[in-house]
Amino acid sequence: MEFTGAIREAKKGTAELVVLAFLDDEPRHGYELTQLIEERSGGALTFNFASLYATLYKLEERKWIQGRWVEKAGQRRRRYYRITPEGRAVLAAQRKEWGQFFELIRELAGVEYA
Amino acid sequence: MHDRDVREWRTPIRERADREWRELSPDVVDEFACHLADLHAAALTSGASQAEARRRVLDALNAASFLEVSRRPRARHTPSGYAQDVRLAVRQLQASPLVSAIAILSLALGIGANTAIFSIVNSLLLRPLPVRQPQQLVTLTKGSWTNPIWEQIRDRHELFDSAFAWSETRFDLASGGEAEFVDGIWASGSLFETLGVRSILGRTFTAADDRRGGGPDGPIAVISYDFWQRRFGGAGDVVGRTLNIERVPFTVVGVTPPDFFGPQVGRTFDVAIPLGNEPMIRESWLDERSSWWLSIMARLRPNQSIDAANAALRAAQPAIRDATAPGWNGYITEPFTLAPAATGESQLRRRYERPLIVVLTIVALVLIIACANIANLLLARATARQHEFSVRRALGASRWRLARQLVAESAVLSATGAVAGVVVARWGSQFLVQQISTRGDHVFLDLSLDTRVLVFTIGVTMATTLLFGVVPALRVAASEPMEAIKEFGRSRAARRAGLSGSLVVAQVALSLVLVVAATLFVRTFTSLANLDLGFERDRVLVVNINAERAKVDRANRLPVFERVLERVRALPGVAEAGLSRITPVSGQGWNVSVDVSNTPRLEGRQAQTFRNAITPRWFAAIGMRLVTGRAFTDADRKGAAPVVIVNEAFVRQFLNGQDPIGHTVQRRVIFNRNEPNVPPPPAQEIVGVIADAVYSNPRQPVPPTMFEPLEQSEGSTSAGIGLIMRTVGSPMTDVRGIASAIRNVDADLAITFRPLTEFVNASIVQERIVAMLAGFFGGLALLLAGLGLFGLTSYTVERRRPEISIRMALGAAPSGVMRLVLSGTAGLVAIGIFVGGTLSLWASQFVGALLYQIEPRDPVTLVSAAAMIAAIAVIAAALPAYRASRIDPATVLRESRA
Repeated sequence: MEFTGAIREAKKGTAELVVLAFLDDEPRHGYELTQLIEERSGGALTFNFASLYATLYKLEERKWIQGRWVEKAGQRRRRYYRITPEGRAVLAAQRKEWGQFFELIRELAGVEYA
Repeated sequence: MHDRDVREWRTPIRERADREWRELSPDVVDEFACHLADLHAAALTSGASQAEARRRVLDALNAASFLEVSRRPRARHTPSGYAQDVRLAVRQLQASPLVSAIAILSLALGIGANTAIFSIVNSLLLRPLPVRQPQQLVTLTKGSWTNPIWEQIRDRHELFDSAFAWSETRFDLASGGEAEFVDGIWASGSLFETLGVRSILGRTFTAADDRRGGGPDGPIAVISYDFWQRRFGGAGDVVGRTLNIERVPFTVVGVTPPDFFGPQVGRTFDVAIPLGNEPMIRESWLDERSSWWLSIMARLRPNQSIDAANAALRAAQPAIRDATAPGWNGYITEPFTLAPAATGESQLRRRYERPLIVVLTIVALVLIIACANIANLLLARATARQHEFSVRRALGASRWRLARQLVAESAVLSATGAVAGVVVARWGSQFLVQQISTRGDHVFLDLSLDTRVLVFTIGVTMATTLLFGVVPALRVAASEPMEAIKEFGRSRAARRAGLSGSLVVAQVALSLVLVVAATLFVRTFTSLANLDLGFERDRVLVVNINAERAKVDRANRLPVFERVLERVRALPGVAEAGLSRITPVSGQGWNVSVDVSNTPRLEGRQAQTFRNAITPRWFAAIGMRLVTGRAFTDADRKGAAPVVIVNEAFVRQFLNGQDPIGHTVQRRVIFNRNEPNVPPPPAQEIVGVIADAVYSNPRQPVPPTMFEPLEQSEGSTSAGIGLIMRTVGSPMTDVRGIASAIRNVDADLAITFRPLTEFVNASIVQERIVAMLAGFFGGLALLLAGLGLFGLTSYTVERRRPEISIRMALGAAPSGVMRLVLSGTAGLVAIGIFVGGTLSLWASQFVGALLYQIEPRDPVTLVSAAAMIAAIAVIAAALPAYRASRIDPATVLRESRA
């Protein structure tokens, strides 16, 4: 699915929310995140890897997530990111905000979402 | 295996980042490489071929933009980031090789000169002796001591941990005829042990060797490493070999380490001999109570303070005085005083401390001027690169990032300059030490690089980087992203010119200070060099003759010398000849307190006069002029009426305007409690007055001096005598003939030849060096200032081309344009000269002591230096101004429209 116009703009703003959300369950590394995002969005949402890392670094700088090099048996060394309590709080707040926003859009524009 | 995958992707990532002027930290590069490796593996798993998988990964990489990524601070302060700065800087410097070469050359000279002078300062003033725990060493201050006093101190073991005495000398190693001198020291047996210096071959000597007449091994010598290499070619079997010193065979017992040069800084030694062996090679001074020739150094006991040692020594002073005193008045009455001697003893230090500091200041100023020049060059280049910087800013480079780039360029420049400078310094400092050395006075300084010199050089290099690198860097850091693209930075260029202007003012001011200093020192030197010494300096040869080894007794020495004189006079190349106990300006001195008949008695120094004992016609040989009375004749022999000739200074000092002829001079006898009845020497009648002539130091006023006939003088029995010859041609032409004439009289006489000019030059060597250095660096400063002005004016003309063409299109004459350009420069130069003049007046107070016959604030010097700078400025600005006047307005205006 190709987004155009307003949606494409919105995508940029959602990147942080999406990354935080995916890290909510467990720590993940960058490649895993790109795969997950692509898979779960059915290919609708893709990130250039540099933009993904730019987002990760930005979140890390804000101390919402924390990256750490981990070596697992039989795998190469990878940098895993875990969400911090601060990040969790931000995620919760953002989820709430987006929920309210979609509720508003639904009421105003009659857009239904799954 | 996994790691190899990751490694493979690092390079493409870095290259990609480079293309965007980004730097990624190794951490980020690794993380991206991991990502790409995963991508690659996934592509392979999905069935793609190796080539296809690789292409997909590279596509992803090329589609990525790192602009956002490397805004991360952690991507900046990394070694690889700095390495990249340096790589870029080197490339940038290679891009404009002429500018870089000029900058590096000025820096090499500037840093080199500073390092050279500092390494001399370091070895002369700062560096501790290369011995065990030098901070425990103390020296007995205020001059030299007699051997009896030394023996008293030596035998009082309770005073210090240990102590030693030594005296510098020269030893003649020739077997006969012309002397072959090496640097030597007489040293007490405890020297090596006290200093903690071990031999590298054989042994050093000890108290057991320091006995009158020699220790168990007879006369022995310890030689220096350098002498071992020079004389024995580093032979392994040198220990046990015989060395003839003053024609006495000595056994070499050991070699000292290469870095050990003895206790005196500024000297080195070739051969060290125990004090006890001294009577074997000369008329001994060991029991002389009035021969003050030994220096004394001691090592404090652990935890013994210098005050405690002083107190102990002073407590022993009365006993030492009684044990050694012949009962003289004023004999060692001043309390003994010890001073720290970690950096050794040095006469050279006392003499060169101030000149060195002045020269260090001069070279520091030259370096600052050079830095100002380079700052201007870099500033011009930074302005030219404004466009590049703006684009980089627009692409997201931070100000700091760009400033860092410029600082890196400066640092690379300084570092290259510093490396070249160290080479210049090594050569320069050695050259300077050679200049200080004279034939009779061999100066040695250990100039090897040590931590202190390295720290100094690195410090200077960093300071220069800051001096010339920071201003352009700050300027660039202030640049706005799109400004240059829009405007081509005109407003900034104008500001840049203002900054360059102040740099030029600073350069002119400092150059003026240096030129004034150089003029003062050069004029000091030339007045000394051309000083009327009161005697002839050219075509006069001095032959020092020593009869110590000749087989004649003391009473018969003078007749031998007189026979030499006769033979030499008969030589065709010799116009006149004479003998004297003292050779003027040779550093020798001989004085006495006197009373002159029918004049008031003078006290203390006022009563002192210098003496010399000479043969008839000596005045004619050296070219001194008789004012009144008569010169000596052959009739003024022993037994005849004692006579004396005095100089004009003597007449002024003692006779107060009276006619000196006919007065008598009575030498005083030092009162001796033990021998109260020594008869006074006979009074001498003044028979003539000789014109004033320099006795030892050309800088000092001529002292009162009296001359007596050698035959009537007690100086007639001394072993050494100076033979002064006025030659027909150049003094050194017939040295061989003179030597054989002397050998024919007695083959055992030791002789040395030196033209009198050499003595004169040696006496003003300090002034010569300061004048040479100040002159050189003053000239260099002028050159640099001229270059700076030239650069600035050229730049200004370039910048104002459109304006000038409009003026010319509107009818301005070429001469008017030249005036316009020159007036801008003239203003800066005028400010510079004013500032520099004020600075010079202020700084003059520090150099007064080094000047001779010229005031530190000499107006002529100041005005002529200012005129010289102004002239240089006109020359430097004239060429660009002329070029400005030749601008073709049509061309320029067409260009700017396009």
